[in-house]
Amino acid sequence: MAISVFRFAPKTWGAADDVEAVAPLPLPPMASPMVVLSALMVLCLLLFVTVGPLLWQQSPSQQWLSQISDGASSAYSVRIVSDNGDWRPSAKSDSPRGLTIHTANTEYVRLHWPKLAGVERYRIYRGDANKPGLGLAMAETGDNYYQDRLQLSREVYRYTIADAETGLLLLAREVRPEPAMSAFEAQLQGLIPLGGNEEWVDIPAHPLGTDALGRDILARLMAGGRTSLFVGVVAPLLYISFGCVFGAIAGLMGGWVDQLAMRFVDFVVALPFLLFMILFRVAFGIGPGENGIMPLIVAMLVLSWPGSARLIRGQVLALRSQPFVEASRIAGVGTSRIILRHMLPNVLPMILVAFSFAIPQAIFTEAFLSFIGMGVSPPTTSWGALCNDGIKTLLSHPRQLLLPALLISMSVLAFNILGDALRDATDRRSGVVRA
Amino acid sequence: MNIAKSLASRFAQTLSGQWRWLATFLFCFSASLPVNAQAVDAANAKVTLALATEPPTLNSAVATDTIASFVLAHIMEGLLVYGADGELAPGVAERWELDANGASFWLRETARWSDGKPVTAHDFVFAWQHALKPSTASQYAFIFYPIKNAEAVNSGKVPAAELGVVAVSDYELRVEFGQPCPYFLSLAAFMTFLPMREDIVAHWGGRYAADGDKLIFNGAYTLDKWVHGAHLRLRKNSHYWQADAVKINEIDMPYITADPSAQFNLFRDQQIAIAPLDTGLLNEAVERGFDIEYFHTGSLFFLEFNFREGRITANHSFRKAVQRLIDPDLLVNKIIGLPGIKPAYSLFPVTVKGNEKSFREEYPVMRVDPDIAAAREHLQKAKAELGFSEWPPLVLLAGDSPRALQEAEYYQYLFKKGLGIELRIDQQVFKQRLEKMRRGDFDIVAAAWGPDYDDIMTFADLFASWNDNNRGRYDNPLYDRWIRLAQESNDARTRFNAMAQIQRLVVEDVPILPTYENGALYVQNPRLKGVRRSIFGGDPLFRYAWIEE
Repeated sequence: MAISVFRFAPKTWGAADDVEAVAPLPLPPMASPMVVLSALMVLCLLLFVTVGPLLWQQSPSQQWLSQISDGASSAYSVRIVSDNGDWRPSAKSDSPRGLTIHTANTEYVRLHWPKLAGVERYRIYRGDANKPGLGLAMAETGDNYYQDRLQLSREVYRYTIADAETGLLLLAREVRPEPAMSAFEAQLQGLIPLGGNEEWVDIPAHPLGTDALGRDILARLMAGGRTSLFVGVVAPLLYISFGCVFGAIAGLMGGWVDQLAMRFVDFVVALPFLLFMILFRVAFGIGPGENGIMPLIVAMLVLSWPGSARLIRGQVLALRSQPFVEASRIAGVGTSRIILRHMLPNVLPMILVAFSFAIPQAIFTEAFLSFIGMGVSPPTTSWGALCNDGIKTLLSHPRQLLLPALLISMSVLAFNILGDALRDATDRRSGVVRA
Repeated sequence: MNIAKSLASRFAQTLSGQWRWLATFLFCFSASLPVNAQAVDAANAKVTLALATEPPTLNSAVATDTIASFVLAHIMEGLLVYGADGELAPGVAERWELDANGASFWLRETARWSDGKPVTAHDFVFAWQHALKPSTASQYAFIFYPIKNAEAVNSGKVPAAELGVVAVSDYELRVEFGQPCPYFLSLAAFMTFLPMREDIVAHWGGRYAADGDKLIFNGAYTLDKWVHGAHLRLRKNSHYWQADAVKINEIDMPYITADPSAQFNLFRDQQIAIAPLDTGLLNEAVERGFDIEYFHTGSLFFLEFNFREGRITANHSFRKAVQRLIDPDLLVNKIIGLPGIKPAYSLFPVTVKGNEKSFREEYPVMRVDPDIAAAREHLQKAKAELGFSEWPPLVLLAGDSPRALQEAEYYQYLFKKGLGIELRIDQQVFKQRLEKMRRGDFDIVAAAWGPDYDDIMTFADLFASWNDNNRGRYDNPLYDRWIRLAQESNDARTRFNAMAQIQRLVVEDVPILPTYENGALYVQNPRLKGVRRSIFGGDPLFRYAWIEE
């Protein structure tokens, strides 16, 4: 018998003379470990972005100013200190013996040292006590005291005082600042009431640390994931639906409608994707401060539908001339019924496969656009935008880039594997078509 | 001048962020191609550098940015120049006299253009008239306004020949003032005051200075090569009157990238001699043991409110609320986190000179402490005055450098948390931001201003009602009166007292909210000596530099 070009042709029953029939290749088992793993991964990611924020109730936009670019930390108590800018030691303690640390907390470290004969200006270095070298030159001063307030964290610092002219090292001392928070920040964060005078407050843990503005990375990954996955699912849903309808109409109507529709598809395909994506987003006018998700989705819809339109149109065209479709038409079956009974079941698997491959692509597009600053705008965030934030601190805090990048890779990989599995699954349908 | 974040990110402003990374990678490949490229080459007295961006123009009449200022400081020489220690030194002018009504300059006869012709007083007269012509549309025309008739020439009311500048002879220039200008000498060292050759400008017309071969030089260097967007090279000018004193023979700039990481990598690989540092690079530089150097760029960063009709930011109580909310100290120490950047409380940075010492030492500024309770009270008052129950969202216009965005996100959080106001960030590339500022398309803008000349007036008259750079259209008769008083006076004490009043007014009336005074951190090849980093007269300046063997 002639092998039908069409995969889902009605099975010819009772053809016992199946001499040409080849034993079907063993299909890969549907539930291969890879598929299970990726399905689990998708599930985990979905749970991470939906249930996660319920379990981890930190605002992704809260900026812990006293914990900028901090590593992973558990919850701890901090002392509330009121800082009033400038500080100078009181007159009676004017000549300490050696380098004295008046106060050391993460808001300020106050140093005081004896005036040394012959030294006019002092240079103060701050370095990590565990590393060699002087560290960073903080300031030069003619006074014999200094207040360091620059991004202090809870590590051990070594302060070195040197003669600014000759570079001669004079004094050094190590200190571990006590955790503290300024009263202003505590009030801002709502940790203490205005005018309150609590001495200690608890600040929450940051299991993945904080970013360059002191925001909890875990909470941001969850919030960013929600945007990324939302765009990743909604955009393909829209453009595949649109493409399907467009392609189906072209395929069903045929003739000049088909010609016209397909030339339009050619035109849209010819538009350079990235350039037009950026142009569209500018033209759609994302006003300042709007989160930019909708324009992003619309831009993807406008540019990404032709692929699926072509796919469906070809399929519908082939189906239309199939004998079983012609037969039902001769039998007087209405168009809508033909679509419902013959067309839809035969194109649906194809649509599903196209959809499952479009998801990772959309996630990636969103990430890419956000990464080059063309995606969502703050305070909304996405994995791509998080990468964009993280790249600025790549050298000093690689974590801030690697974590969102890892999540993007994981989700893209998982959705791709699932798409593969889905395609294999639809292949195995040797198809009874209900007619 | 408007700060384009010259050394930080200018190229980045065409497309945001990550194209620069692509560029970094491309650089990694291209950088390996030139053989024996060396940061400093003592044998040939050659220095290799990276530029943040190519100069938008080298036409001194219309140039406004810091990169053009850097290149022009090397290839051109004005009447006066800034010397090795930042003092005013003789340039083309051998000597000068400044009085209440004007200034006279006597030019040295040895000064030559790079084609061997002498530099004459006529070249200056032509250049200044040319810059003031309405058809030139120089943004810096206002800087000539102390000169007699300058404003009228600029608006086209009188012909250019009426300008109060006369070439008494080939080598004597006389300038008449329209108003007292005790700081005219430092103006004469500014780039818009550089000489221009009439024949060259006439020959090239609109294309003058568009390419390396379409201009002529009278400075220490000539522009030997200019491949747009890719490469600039300066070579010692043999016709320069003081050519013997110029130690560096060649300044090569084969890299144009605004990405500090790319520049830092080039520095680390000994490809360039100087690289700026940004927050993320600081620790890396410390760990590698580089000497980190610093200088105060003298520029002020501030938030400017919009006072145009119908803008709610014009409400005084609202501005007071913002003033009590934003703590420059917190911003500098926590968010920016670079040593050397100073919190700003005054319109005048600490580098502005006063009578004898720094102006800020002589006239300390009143500091307003941050206080959330007070801020909320002020906001309540503002709401009552405007009849709002809910404060509408505001638009913050910000630059697109990483630091600018970080700052903007910080303000966004602060406004939301502290005052319950939604702040929308409008991130724009440099040119677009300037355009939006000019049109007044913002509620609050994060702006910056760098001094043009070494006088307090370069900051003070910024918010006078007639100044074009007063982007918020702040209009306060009291402010204007103090400025007029200072402009019409020749007495230093009167001027500085008026300035103290201005300083007080800015704190009390909050037309702007100063945030920080910028400092630049950089690393420099230890063999390269005498490079002048400065606020005025081109930065960095290699005119007095040398390479240690």
